[in-house]
Amino acid sequence: MEKKASDAGNDKFLDKKTSRRSFLKGVGTAAGVALASTAMGSVKPADAAEPVKPKPQMKYLFAERQNCVGCRACEYACSLHHEGVVWPAKSRIHVYKHKGVVDVPVICWHCDDAPCINACPTTPKAIQKDPKTNGIKLDAKLCIGAKCNKCIEACPSKFIRRDPEKGMPLMCDLCDGDPECVKACVEQSGNPVGPCLMAGKLGFGVNQAYRNVPPEEAGEDLIQGMFYPNENGERRS
Amino acid sequence: MPTPKGGHFGRILEIDLSNQKYKIVPIDPDTCRRYLGGAGMGSYLLFNRLNAKHDPMAEDSPIFMGVGPLTGTACASTRCSFVNKSPYTGRLSHAEVGSFIGNELKWAGWDGILITGESKKPVYLYIHNDKVQFKDAGMLWGKDTHITEEMILEQVKDPYVKVASIGPGGENQVGYAGVMVERFRSAARTGTGALMGHKKLKAIALRGTRYVPVADRKAFHKAAEANKQFSLKKEGWQGLKRWGTAGLLELKHHVTGSLITKNFQTTWYPDIEEIGAEEANRRFWKKHAACYNCPNHCMKLGVIRGGDYDGLIAEGPEYETGGLLGSNLGIADFDLMMAAIELCDAMGLDAISTGGSLAFAMEAFQRGLLTADKFDGVTLEWGDGETVIELIRKIAFKEGQAGKFLARGVSAMARELGGNAADFACVVKGKEMAAHDPRGDKPRGVSYAMGTCGGDHHEGNSPAGQAKRCLHNSLVICSFVGGYWSPKMFVDMLNPLCGWDMSEEELMATARRIRTLERCFNVREGGSRKDDTLPKRMLTEPLPDGPKKGVVFSPAEMKKVQDDYYAYFGWDDNGIPTEKTLKELGLEFAIKDVKAAAA
Repeated sequence: MEKKASDAGNDKFLDKKTSRRSFLKGVGTAAGVALASTAMGSVKPADAAEPVKPKPQMKYLFAERQNCVGCRACEYACSLHHEGVVWPAKSRIHVYKHKGVVDVPVICWHCDDAPCINACPTTPKAIQKDPKTNGIKLDAKLCIGAKCNKCIEACPSKFIRRDPEKGMPLMCDLCDGDPECVKACVEQSGNPVGPCLMAGKLGFGVNQAYRNVPPEEAGEDLIQGMFYPNENGERRS
Repeated sequence: MPTPKGGHFGRILEIDLSNQKYKIVPIDPDTCRRYLGGAGMGSYLLFNRLNAKHDPMAEDSPIFMGVGPLTGTACASTRCSFVNKSPYTGRLSHAEVGSFIGNELKWAGWDGILITGESKKPVYLYIHNDKVQFKDAGMLWGKDTHITEEMILEQVKDPYVKVASIGPGGENQVGYAGVMVERFRSAARTGTGALMGHKKLKAIALRGTRYVPVADRKAFHKAAEANKQFSLKKEGWQGLKRWGTAGLLELKHHVTGSLITKNFQTTWYPDIEEIGAEEANRRFWKKHAACYNCPNHCMKLGVIRGGDYDGLIAEGPEYETGGLLGSNLGIADFDLMMAAIELCDAMGLDAISTGGSLAFAMEAFQRGLLTADKFDGVTLEWGDGETVIELIRKIAFKEGQAGKFLARGVSAMARELGGNAADFACVVKGKEMAAHDPRGDKPRGVSYAMGTCGGDHHEGNSPAGQAKRCLHNSLVICSFVGGYWSPKMFVDMLNPLCGWDMSEEELMATARRIRTLERCFNVREGGSRKDDTLPKRMLTEPLPDGPKKGVVFSPAEMKKVQDDYYAYFGWDDNGIPTEKTLKELGLEFAIKDVKAAAA
């Protein structure tokens, strides 16, 4: 497991489109869990034996997809924080329901290699790394808005949506290091499922393992993973 | 015309299916304040649009799909209400459904949709904010609700659209066909599905990208958050979160003595261990699911592994579906029960009325009133799950003698069978009772007997409880959440949201106004004290065993319930709202009709 988890950081491995599905089926979820637990463990200083050294002050958002119950409290909290009113169409995070069965939280993983920054055509770039959170941040003044589609196309998670009003891309800014969605999720979770969203100082690689999967594919994967763990049954009805 | 300050948009979308046209109907702020929305607003619109004894299947007979001021705001667990004159019972009926469809409707900028007219060919509605499209549903006709939803999402190319659709049950106008939302949620107890099928309206697809205006944002969000926290701390919620309503199956069997069994013959069902929440948790449940902003994920999804139904994903059992299609039919096989529940969902049938009708037929076989030669050669016995599943499919398509017979519902079946069949027909106001036996759970008898729709477990267990439920159904929030909130907590939320200065007394007067208006509608249809009662079995047959052995809901108790109820709402001895009450509540427009009906 440890080896595969570090493999997840290997771009070559992930870029092979054919292997992505099988990779996720086999280890995706498990690797995610394992990484999350190592990551949470890494908060403690006792983790000196860990081969991957966590970067200091690095904050990530992480979604444990199996735990999502689809209450969309994260959308509520996000839009309340950013817009001052409950407005899920302008929420930075969103929950996609696949076939009415599974819920896929679509989040910004704040990738290290950030394809959206690479794709951004403006100079200086409208999307930049925020030194405070080490996540990405959109500068609305520099963004050319509705005319451009580059970051939306570039995002491997199909995360970025357009503002229905102004045409700007809606980008997660981690609420300057203390994400509201995570607080809302933790508050509503429990008994028996734990929170889906987590934030913290996570080790390198977590975002890479999940981020290349668009919501539809992740939903299909979740149905297979949660409902047909032995992979020998087809859905009928 | 002035527009509301917040909470409401002050406009309703009126759809004319006959001419494929639509128009915007403005609603003034005063009406919004007096009827709130959802069931209340629907009752007001329908009372004024329909005449006495209006044919529910007539071209101008509308379906109102409504939301309330709290829907789509920071308030927890908001829902959507369907109001129409039921073709099944001939009464004003409303059904509330969870999931996200109400929120999408609100975010699209509407307080409701009023659907009138009849289409000549199958259509479905696609509403994206102000854009209304009538789309051809020829390809979807005949498909089950799951496939319909998948195909619509594919056609509109927006995975965030929410769909309310009917299945074959609705298309074939089975009286108790419902509307299915997001695969597993149903607004089923009003015959809305049959009405939609008659109008050839296959589905309503909704998507909204607006926000609900709030008069005083800071105060409202503070109050909404405080109210949610208040409910979160309640112990009852932790049980619902963990076990859903299925947890009640064992509880009602062991403790309350109100689990319906074999068409209300008893409440003692030892096989409950085979189909209850513990069993579901052990072998079935894989995932929890919640409605909008609800910390109380009471919906449980699972998959059947092994056997004939391997790989079937289904939702439940809930208390009602597990009770009606499990213990009420004597089924002790978990997989067969779940397959029956799933088939009801797919076919768009009301699981409660389907279970009630099947149980009635089973008892008719038990008593020799019904024989195989009148029933496609099928003999129906308690616990015969495979035949039940076959029959549910036949009901949806009205196939053969058995399908046609069962699709008529218990009241009509009892009339047709004659003899003493009426003695074991467990219906209130023409509708099958839900899964609580009122002998074991007496407050529930108030809900069944006195409620607007009849046979409904969800209308409040006391006069004051019913007034509160009117608030829940008109603000359209979940009663599991709203049930804990006092009038003051509602007012604290509503005032900053809508910019009102409403007092608690005014809020409760609003609740009584809505309940009385619903009553006026049903009085106009000929309803009175004689309908506000329970079936003969509840009033005369004592429970043979179980924790409440020997208990009966006596006629004297029934009379006291009625008297207390009429006194609370200010109605006369016959259950007709008095002129004084109507004037007090500002329902002057109803006086003429009520007087004419009572005379």
